[in-house]
Amino acid sequence: MEPMKILFGKCKLFQKTLRLSGIFLQQNGMSQYPTYYIPPVYKKDAQEELIKSGEATKLVHIPTRAALSDQTSSLAHDDLVNLFINYCMKDGLKQIARQIVEQSFQSIKKIQLEKYHKCESEEDKQKIELNPRVVFHKAVENCKPVIHLTPIKRGGVRYQVPVPITDKKAQFLSMKWLITAAREKEKTVRFHLQLARELIEAANNSGRVVKRKQELHRQCEANRAYAHYRWS
Amino acid sequence: MILRRTLCLLDPLRSSVLLNYPGVAVAFPTVEACMFSTNNSKPDPIDQVDKYGKNISKAMKSYLERAHEHDEFMKTQREEFQIGKRHLANMMGEDPETFTQEDIDNAIEYLFPSGLYDKKARPLMKPPEEVFPQRKAAEFDETGRPHHFLFYTGKPNYYQVLHNIVQHINDLYKYENTMLRKGLKPDPNSTLELSGYQWLDKMSLENTLVETLGDKDYDCFVTAIERLSCLPYSYRVKDFIFQYTKPLMNQVQTYEAPKPQYDSEGRAYVTTYECLRKTARGDVTIRMPGTGNISINGKDITYFEDIQSREQLLFPLLFTNMQTKVDIECNVAGGGPSGQSGALRWGIAWGLRSFVDKEMIEKMRLAGLLTRDYRTRERKKPGQAGARRKFTWKKR
Repeated sequence: MEPMKILFGKCKLFQKTLRLSGIFLQQNGMSQYPTYYIPPVYKKDAQEELIKSGEATKLVHIPTRAALSDQTSSLAHDDLVNLFINYCMKDGLKQIARQIVEQSFQSIKKIQLEKYHKCESEEDKQKIELNPRVVFHKAVENCKPVIHLTPIKRGGVRYQVPVPITDKKAQFLSMKWLITAAREKEKTVRFHLQLARELIEAANNSGRVVKRKQELHRQCEANRAYAHYRWS
Repeated sequence: MILRRTLCLLDPLRSSVLLNYPGVAVAFPTVEACMFSTNNSKPDPIDQVDKYGKNISKAMKSYLERAHEHDEFMKTQREEFQIGKRHLANMMGEDPETFTQEDIDNAIEYLFPSGLYDKKARPLMKPPEEVFPQRKAAEFDETGRPHHFLFYTGKPNYYQVLHNIVQHINDLYKYENTMLRKGLKPDPNSTLELSGYQWLDKMSLENTLVETLGDKDYDCFVTAIERLSCLPYSYRVKDFIFQYTKPLMNQVQTYEAPKPQYDSEGRAYVTTYECLRKTARGDVTIRMPGTGNISINGKDITYFEDIQSREQLLFPLLFTNMQTKVDIECNVAGGGPSGQSGALRWGIAWGLRSFVDKEMIEKMRLAGLLTRDYRTRERKKPGQAGARRKFTWKKR
């Protein structure tokens, strides 16, 4: 009788899980969450803003998705840096990618500190940004293009047509260019060091990546005659 | 003993009415009165024919015959079920009188273990009323005249609902006009708040109406009821609107934290079992007051070598500012570092509910700490290189 009872217990457990899985009856493609689940607000300041504006009372009855495994409320966390780590990643080796980006931030700090201490006047010292995260944000902002070229076929000829781009695409291109620029280096130089240099240069609105952006803008300017192909 | 009954009873009146639905029952109360068919106490169909003579229509006659047949069939089925239940109880060595449906299900699962994936394909034994769905009672009287004024639409219940919605809309328009004439405005405090609700999905609407609906029908219903709920005075028909909604979330599960127990040192503790993420399984014990000690499988936080996992482990503690107020002991097995830390993160957050106030629980919920992450690796598909990746295309 004993094993039977255990089995009955298991049956009951199974029923419980079944009832739980009933929540997921409403399918949303391959997603585990139904469509009405909202993404989590895991930052404390973002939550306080929601509470202040009164949005939070509306969200009380709406279930949230679980926070992802790279999201935390810690002060060291930054969304854009996280994204950048993911763009640096090769073959899903996130641990290594994160390590490299952190190393490059360390190098930024070192380089900037060195510059800072070499400066003699107080004014020059003020100009040097010491926070690597701010440097990174500036670099990404400076490398964002506002327009780009897409090939459009008209009468059997491919024209490079200048087209405005969305903010997300611009951000992606800027980060991608930063990474490719850092990968074009001599074999003796480490990636994280080169990345640090590129980031600092881009933050100062100079360097290869900013040049690449300007080159793209120049091409767009040259091809402005084709702009009407976008709609005709 | 009948264990498995197929649902393919050939019966033209299969798609039937469950008369206990409140909204619809109000809509046409006469249906209940005409439920003479499936009741055994009513006179035989032959008597009916005698009584009404030539007046009774052929359709009515055949309907009565079918109803009679069905009643007989259900009667035998019910008897057989009772006998089968007694047999089963005897086989399991339990009292047949107190043998419940749950016991039956368990016994069937024990005696006939099935490896079939689909739950519908597994053996079952249920009362015949559940196996053979209730049949639609006659929607027309003895002379063949339908009771419901929308009978000839083919979906009287559905169109009745739409009709009611429009009626309510018109009533509210009228009411709004009278209020405007009086110079009054709708009460801002009692506006209808539907943010936590969604409309009944098509399946459950079909079940409540007991009619099959097309996608267009359902869309019509949704647009109609949304229009009703948008009106400024829609809170006056709150009850009607809420019949067709269901809440998005089970609040009780999130907010009702267990009361902490006390150990020999007098410290409050809560243990959360079944913390799971990917293939990792674990349990978490939180002790209060503490000093922020963490032990995972006997080691401290260096059990996780990568920083992301450590961050994950500390996420709920940092979020609630409890990192120096509690001690945490956990056991995990299976999976990798990411899965294990995810499992523990959920366990810690779930256990911390007992030590924080309700506002903080709501914040944790909004931060996605209290939601179970059921996502797992997507399987590889045949004919493809991976879950989504296709093989390199070669012309030949």
